[in-house]
Amino acid sequence: MSESELTMATGHEVLMEASPYHIEKKKLGMWVFIVSDACTFATFLFGYGYMRVGSQNWGTPFEFSSILNGIIMTFVLLSSSLTMLAAVRATQAGQKASANKWLGFTMLLGTVFAILHLREWVKMIGEGWRLFYNPMGGAAQFGACFFSVTGLHLTHVISGVIALAFIVRGYNQGRYDESHVETAGLYWHFVDLVWMFVFPLMYLMNAAR
Amino acid sequence: MGSYAGIVIGLMVIVVIEVILTYQHLSVRRLVFSLLCLACLEAFVGIMYLMHVKYESRLLFWTIFPATLFVLVLLNYLWPDAYRMARMSLGK
Repeated sequence: MSESELTMATGHEVLMEASPYHIEKKKLGMWVFIVSDACTFATFLFGYGYMRVGSQNWGTPFEFSSILNGIIMTFVLLSSSLTMLAAVRATQAGQKASANKWLGFTMLLGTVFAILHLREWVKMIGEGWRLFYNPMGGAAQFGACFFSVTGLHLTHVISGVIALAFIVRGYNQGRYDESHVETAGLYWHFVDLVWMFVFPLMYLMNAAR
Repeated sequence: MGSYAGIVIGLMVIVVIEVILTYQHLSVRRLVFSLLCLACLEAFVGIMYLMHVKYESRLLFWTIFPATLFVLVLLNYLWPDAYRMARMSLGK
């Protein structure tokens, strides 16, 4: 093993091998988290599929207004991925003001997504939907599936906005650098990509046609 | 940033295609198959380009994908039981 393949662990008198993945520890840790979280979401979605296939009167409650709300939410979340990429680019270029601006836009878009989502929830709860009650008379499990899958995703979005706020604070104080922003960006894109499955399966498959 | 904007716009176009397909009166099986294929395409593009896996070490790709795919394949073992439940509710 050449000396270049060895790195000195900061503050410790031991030599450590370089990562075979050639990425930082925090980024690798985030990938491990993403894989495990992807399996969690997959389990929720498979559970939803199981209940839907197993019940004969599932129903399709979403009118076009709900689908339109879902489309807007999707576009908002996709736009936030773009602003996140711009923020990562800005931090890598050392442009602090620009990075702050794009991270701010990302948090704003994440908040807009959460508000639109909660608006949909409030509307549904107002119509009588509950975790185990279907006001349309169909399968009672619909509420449990919808609120648990979208609730898990909404929790991720809100957690992401809060995490980004901490990252922005730390970045401005000099505690965090561009690698922290990039790692947070990985999480944000993951949350975005999960929605690419949640929207068609939870909204479009339940659209009134 | 231009190429990233193109990718995001492409993802938005796929979402619009999904919505159009939803209102084409396809059978449930055909619709769920089409939507899942498009969602997988979106996820693949997002993982490779937005999450930069295309530009990372190939070892990272081969560590992440087969393991995740393995879990997703194993989850499919529940479908026979779901169809059994459906048959039971029909009284067959």
